[in-house]
Amino acid sequence: MGEMIAVENGSMGRVAYARIAPNEDLVQGVEKLCLAEGFRNAFVRGALGSLVDACMGTIDGKYLQIQGPAVEIVSLAGEVRLGEDGSLRAALTGVVADPEGNVYGGPFVAGLNPICMTFEVTLEEWLPAK
Amino acid sequence: MKRGATTQLPRPRTLIHPGRFNPVRIQSLRSSKGRHVRLALLPGVSLFDGLGKPLADIGITSASTTILGGYFEGVQYCVAPRDQQGRAVIAYSKPIPAGRTYMIFGNATLGKSINGSPLVHCHAAIRTESGEVKGGHILTETCIVSRDPIPVLVTSLDEFELRQAYDPETNIPLLQPYKESING
Repeated sequence: MGEMIAVENGSMGRVAYARIAPNEDLVQGVEKLCLAEGFRNAFVRGALGSLVDACMGTIDGKYLQIQGPAVEIVSLAGEVRLGEDGSLRAALTGVVADPEGNVYGGPFVAGLNPICMTFEVTLEEWLPAK
Repeated sequence: MKRGATTQLPRPRTLIHPGRFNPVRIQSLRSSKGRHVRLALLPGVSLFDGLGKPLADIGITSASTTILGGYFEGVQYCVAPRDQQGRAVIAYSKPIPAGRTYMIFGNATLGKSINGSPLVHCHAAIRTESGEVKGGHILTETCIVSRDPIPVLVTSLDEFELRQAYDPETNIPLLQPYKESING
């Protein structure tokens, strides 16, 4: 792991919007959107949609699964970062609602949050100062 | 359905939709620059009008917005259970009245409906009149801004537009990005 940096200066760049299709993974879908649009670092600016089931991580490495379908995404924030190994990694956090409207929150686990009907997301490119 | 956390890795489910699988899984477009607006939803107007009309006045018809919290009167929301008719994988429930509600956080996408009129698609976490925290699809015409203005951060989508179009795979109309603009 590289040196931790508390402050990173930079500026906002381009803006991308996507509709991601059913059965695609939420987290990796956002990473692939960055591939499609040529973004290397980005912040989520807005997102809503639904998941088949949701899976969120816990501090002790467990998985909290919220059963759908559909589990609605009611709040989402996060970023995509270019890693030192050259890969893209999205870290997404949010609040979801189950089919009874009960809410749950946490970090979305990559690969375990398949989209149910649609996922609408807006990313804003982050351009770190050199 | 509530479940506790498990150590076992859950297996993601792949659902079968009624229509033909679209090989394009990510429909995306981009603008060269982000344009931002700080909007206040004014007391007495609906979320739908308070968002769509002021933005239309400054030429914004497609946008991604974040509702930064505030009180609404008469909120109604829907959840998304399985479609009992089998036309789609899920169908929105009947509207659930939440009464005088605090919207904790919401995201709303502004675009155009199939007939060209403004469309606001909003999901939010809310604290209902009874004090419960709930979440779902918000019926924006029913939500009337209470006595205090509600701040919204708008990211305008300038070089393309969002339009609702029928999606054959899911068999429902969905917002999708298009390069060309249709007036109206």
